[in-house]
Amino acid sequence: MVRTFLGYPRSNGTVGVRNHVAVISVMDNCNPVTRAICQAVDMTLPVTTLFVRGQYGHDLEVAFNTLAGMGRNPNIAAVLLVGLEEQTTEEVARRIRPAGKPVESINLQPHGTINAVAEGTRRALKLAVAASAARRAPCPVSSLLVGVECGGSDTTSGLTCNPTIGAMADRLVADGGSVIISETSEFLGAEHLFAARAKDEAVGKAFVEAVVRLEREAVSRGMDIRGTNPTQDNIRGGLTTIEEKALGAMAKAGTSPLRGVLAYGEAPAGKGLHFMDAPAPAVENLTAMAAAGCQLIFFGTGVGNPIGNMVAPTVKVCGNVNTLRTMADNIDFDASEILEKSAKVGAVGDRLYDFAVEVASGTRTTSELLDIRETAISRFAPTI
Amino acid sequence: MEEPGFIVHHKGDSLGVVVVEDVKAGQKLRGWIMDTNETIELTAAADIPLGHKVALVPLGKGDTVLKYGNDVGRAVEDIGVGGYVHFHNIKSKRW
Repeated sequence: MVRTFLGYPRSNGTVGVRNHVAVISVMDNCNPVTRAICQAVDMTLPVTTLFVRGQYGHDLEVAFNTLAGMGRNPNIAAVLLVGLEEQTTEEVARRIRPAGKPVESINLQPHGTINAVAEGTRRALKLAVAASAARRAPCPVSSLLVGVECGGSDTTSGLTCNPTIGAMADRLVADGGSVIISETSEFLGAEHLFAARAKDEAVGKAFVEAVVRLEREAVSRGMDIRGTNPTQDNIRGGLTTIEEKALGAMAKAGTSPLRGVLAYGEAPAGKGLHFMDAPAPAVENLTAMAAAGCQLIFFGTGVGNPIGNMVAPTVKVCGNVNTLRTMADNIDFDASEILEKSAKVGAVGDRLYDFAVEVASGTRTTSELLDIRETAISRFAPTI
Repeated sequence: MEEPGFIVHHKGDSLGVVVVEDVKAGQKLRGWIMDTNETIELTAAADIPLGHKVALVPLGKGDTVLKYGNDVGRAVEDIGVGGYVHFHNIKSKRW
């Protein structure tokens, strides 16, 4: 029998697990207007950004594509773009329109802030009324694309939350769904093991090249990756070498074959497990995953990292009893029975898969309810 | 099973992860090997904080250290069974 969840079927065949109107800033100077509109209209979600103004070339393309990717995400029913002027706003709008959802825009020039907020609020209201007519319906889990992430890792991460997320990922892939693992730097030291799982030589090579490129770039900029990875809090948590950290981090990808390598924020063309080449810090990595179309993200943490993504609900999984006690308000799923009761990782993974279906069907995460969410698009070049 | 004092990911690993607080030198510890469900015992040779590692086999300077059944680095000094293994005495082979 096909496993289903209750989602929002979209006109382009994708399925949302949430039903928001995204109000997206085209650049940093639009953020105050975006926030003002979102305070006025229920169902709206502020997707703010820093920079864009003054970015150029590849870096600007990444920014436009990432903003548009978040707009195209199936969790978004409709988009209101808040821009400074028409031309830049249109750069983002034209990248969202192929998704087949309503895309409106409001520009600060020449209206001024007060009029832009007023007109933006009117438009967001109309979009929200229309979006609220959508109803959840049973949809196959194969329509899910989930991101797997870790942050604030310690030795419990590699033993509990990450393998639990991996077991859940294996079950989802077996049911026809898709998974993205990212955080390129986390693979340093274990990239040969992950590359061995690639579906063919070309995919394996593309993956290794991404890791080698990162290492080379870090060295060429005079950075000592040994000092930042494992981080000081990782070392306090008991992590030792970068290899140990990499193996623990890789565990969250499960065991299925690697089907493809994606650029920052790029959507996978097919099903199954994919790797995305993107910086590891959580906020910018989750932003890239949401831009790629992830409807959900599973985030393993040891010593605790509270942040979630704006567009893709982020499920915090933790197996450290101390963190579960001290940061209970930031954790959605308790995987501590592995260490406390010698529970099998597979059984806890089954339970996490059940919870994934619940969250996909509407159960809210702590970072959604407390609004502990942030957006940041990675920068690869300076502004001028 | 009685709650273990340390956990071993793969049988054959050089390290176990301490999962109880305030392990002191001389303390007897019971360990659980996750993939085979076996139990082993050893005596801690040093104080080891929660979440940090204990050596399961004698490691000589330069020996490969195994965790998750994989090479995670090398010992940079001799470490006896029950010894505290952390970033001061094992290093990545990469750099």
